[in-house]
Amino acid sequence: MVTSEESSTPSDPSRIDLARLAARWRSEAEWATVDFGLDAEPEPSELNTLNSSGLFHVVSTDKMSVRYVTNQHHGHDVGVVQANYPAPTKRTAYYFEMTVKNAGLKGQCSIGFTTDGFKMCRQPGWEVNSCGYHGDDGYLYRGQGKGESFGPTFTSGDTIGAGINYISQEFFFTKNGNIVGSFPKEIKGLLYPTIAVHSQNEELTVNFGKEPFVFDFEAYIYEERLKLQLLAEKSPLQSGLTHWIVRSYLLHYGYQDTLASFENASDANPSSALVNGFGGQLEYALNHRKVLRQFINSGDIDSAFQKLREWYPSAVQDDNSVICFLLHSQRFIEYIRREELEAAVNYGRAHLAKYYHNKAFASLLTDTAALLAYKIPLYSCVGYLLGSRQREFVADAVNAAVLATNPNSKDQEGCMVSCLEKLLRQLTVCTLERRNLADEDHGEAFFLHRDLSWQSRHG
Amino acid sequence: MASLHSSTRKFITRDEWERKLKEVKIRKEDMNRLIMNFLVTEGYVDAAEKFRLESGTEPDIDLATITDRMAVKMAVQSGNVQDAIEKINDLNPEILDTNPELYFHLQQQKLIELIRMGKIEQALEFAQDELAPRGEENPAFLEEIEKTVALLAFDDVKNSPYGGLLDMSQRMKTASEVNAAILTSQSHEKDPKLPSLLKMLIWAQNQLDEKAVYPRINDLSTAKLEDPAV
Repeated sequence: MVTSEESSTPSDPSRIDLARLAARWRSEAEWATVDFGLDAEPEPSELNTLNSSGLFHVVSTDKMSVRYVTNQHHGHDVGVVQANYPAPTKRTAYYFEMTVKNAGLKGQCSIGFTTDGFKMCRQPGWEVNSCGYHGDDGYLYRGQGKGESFGPTFTSGDTIGAGINYISQEFFFTKNGNIVGSFPKEIKGLLYPTIAVHSQNEELTVNFGKEPFVFDFEAYIYEERLKLQLLAEKSPLQSGLTHWIVRSYLLHYGYQDTLASFENASDANPSSALVNGFGGQLEYALNHRKVLRQFINSGDIDSAFQKLREWYPSAVQDDNSVICFLLHSQRFIEYIRREELEAAVNYGRAHLAKYYHNKAFASLLTDTAALLAYKIPLYSCVGYLLGSRQREFVADAVNAAVLATNPNSKDQEGCMVSCLEKLLRQLTVCTLERRNLADEDHGEAFFLHRDLSWQSRHG
Repeated sequence: MASLHSSTRKFITRDEWERKLKEVKIRKEDMNRLIMNFLVTEGYVDAAEKFRLESGTEPDIDLATITDRMAVKMAVQSGNVQDAIEKINDLNPEILDTNPELYFHLQQQKLIELIRMGKIEQALEFAQDELAPRGEENPAFLEEIEKTVALLAFDDVKNSPYGGLLDMSQRMKTASEVNAAILTSQSHEKDPKLPSLLKMLIWAQNQLDEKAVYPRINDLSTAKLEDPAV
């Protein structure tokens, strides 16, 4: 993608680094890695057959069930299996379930968490750094042979869940959809979901989330997040601040009509403290920026170019600049959109060819030119260029370029990043840093995109 | 509160912090969604419509329903409680059925308005017929009824102990409650997301203060980074 750092043209202090624009396009695949990239972790998906003893039990071929196949003789012939990955930690909570298909002779199956190096012939909870909820006595074991009364026993047909709450730092267990109990997590380090069978014919099936859980885990997470949110809600917010931030966002990007309507309808008068902020600087060229955005959004790049030359010649003076490149490439894209292929080719030859020498423009240029290769470009891998996101990217770039021409501009930063964006970045980094500096880096950091998807799923 | 000696906290330089900030990827369309969500939840119908045109962002709720909701809110804010109640029932009769507290507060507001207009006899009748039975069902309501009815005992109502009930702020409170109930009935979050995020930022910085010294944003309206105190 376009970066000015890689550009071979001499650096110019007034050049804007378009790679930093929030509208900057990325393919869906790129976004997927970027959205939660920092929080992506491998997750348990099946039972681990490599590290279990294999002496007393058999794991099914799909690695989702285990059955005890021998006769129990003592306390060191437990058929215990761990999941293939430890529980992920960069989230509010983790949870998995197992169903007792057959309680066998003595119903001594169990579920819990164990660490690396667990003695793979003992029940979870019977050794240090492990915990387990056992079906025969309903007891909780957390590191020694002697357990404590905890919940009901369980047998064939029951579904038992085990989870870790990273906010309260607790383990919790459920039976058939209801919470049985919870207790402090005193074990540090990676924890493997673990199940075990111990008497003849005991059989368990495990569910790591591929199937819906019996317990409403989504509701549980929602509750936990709500608790955190309520804590944060107590923070005092300066009166009129939200209005101000909405206003400055609209000003920054040049959404003039929205701004006018918003200001008209707001009865709140911003306090003088707020008015003396950067607001004045952002009002620069508001109408022009709105007009330019409108042209670009409707695909009329020629008019956008024309007006820019008329109003802000310095922004488009250097045909080798990023802005000119983006406008030219967008013009080309618009030809493709209207299926005027010949015009596109001619335009490309006349205006895009010269950018090939510039490494910075390479990837966008290649993708743009590639549009020609497809009968139905919209469905191709470069089809994204025909979408409104690409237009928005160009519109935001032009917006930033115009803001940069302001002779009274106090800082370059101001043109690139809106106040809202700065605040959101700060929020994300603060939550990430806090997690980094904690004893164990547990819990969710803030990512706007994920937060919004949550919102839309739970209304 | 834990001691905040700098020596025990990690020091993060401005450069380092700015590098971290740069790494965060925020989608423009997500920010647009936040703004739209704010406009819609707070009822800025026209602004939401304009924003949809200017930014291409789709509102997360049918804009037509906003106008109805705003009409109810306005009615309460102007003291026309009966009108508001009728409008709510037009929108969705279940709202008041499933929200006894809201219904009570609307009734209470109605009583307040009658008292404000000096319609003493009507107020008393209303209090006895409509409100007293609610008070019997619920002791919390009873307390509110008593406070409101107490207004009648004073000549100079405004300066009486519960004179605050006559303030505009009381109307606003009821109006807000109505707004929230309607939004909830439409399966929409009753609060806009944006103020929550701002509060989360304040809270997150306070939390991080316990572990690190880093560039803070003390003035959210400018989002200016303050150099970390050495």
